[in-house]
Amino acid sequence: MKAAPTLDGRIRIDLEDAMDLVVLRAIIADAHARDDDLASRLSAGTDPDLAEDWDDYVLPELRVSFNSQLETIVGALAEVTPGDTLFIGREDAEAWFGGLNQARLALEDRYGLAGADEDAQDGEMKSAGIRSHFYQMLQGMLLHFLMSGGNP
Amino acid sequence: MPDTDSLLEEDVALDQPWNVVVYDDPVNLMDYVTWVFMKVLSLPKPVAEKRMMEVHEQGRSVVWNGGREEAELHTQQLQAHQLQAKMEKPGE
Repeated sequence: MKAAPTLDGRIRIDLEDAMDLVVLRAIIADAHARDDDLASRLSAGTDPDLAEDWDDYVLPELRVSFNSQLETIVGALAEVTPGDTLFIGREDAEAWFGGLNQARLALEDRYGLAGADEDAQDGEMKSAGIRSHFYQMLQGMLLHFLMSGGNP
Repeated sequence: MPDTDSLLEEDVALDQPWNVVVYDDPVNLMDYVTWVFMKVLSLPKPVAEKRMMEVHEQGRSVVWNGGREEAELHTQQLQAHQLQAKMEKPGE
């Protein structure tokens, strides 16, 4: 797989073989592989004076937003096959970034990668660490080349 | 008039300024957190970077302070960007 920014302001990802598509589809699987839902986790510890309203009004909106990010990625990957080139434009950059973030948050929650000794990691954890690192690299490209060079 | 008293206390509690606090986490990228602070809170870049470093080095930062409705909106927007954001009463 090759990923690079293009002159017309997109990220180009060349899918060289079937494994590249498997790697990208793992974003969705990783994001879904969590015991709780992200919206609930982010809202945990809300002040008791606000908790009821938060659960009724904010949580559903967060869930819709997070699902929408993953649907954007699912939709983009549904249209490509090995050998194709995938383009991510500015209009989808935040959705891709958010979906990748969901995957990295889920991997962190599941494996505790940030504080882990790499030498002591088993195969499954190593694989999770490699995926998380790959997602982070894609996020860096999205942030710096598409999301206005770090300026909103 | 205990009912009236308690209603008044609740109103006062809800009207006081609220802090919007962001907590550190091991996943969100530093540049991204700065970008979110600029976008959601309209902070100038140097201020956004300062708040981001407070989150990173001290574990948390009060990124905004003010009325309840606006604090709710900012907190919701920060959570929508997957930051660990909470509303807290000053002094908590």
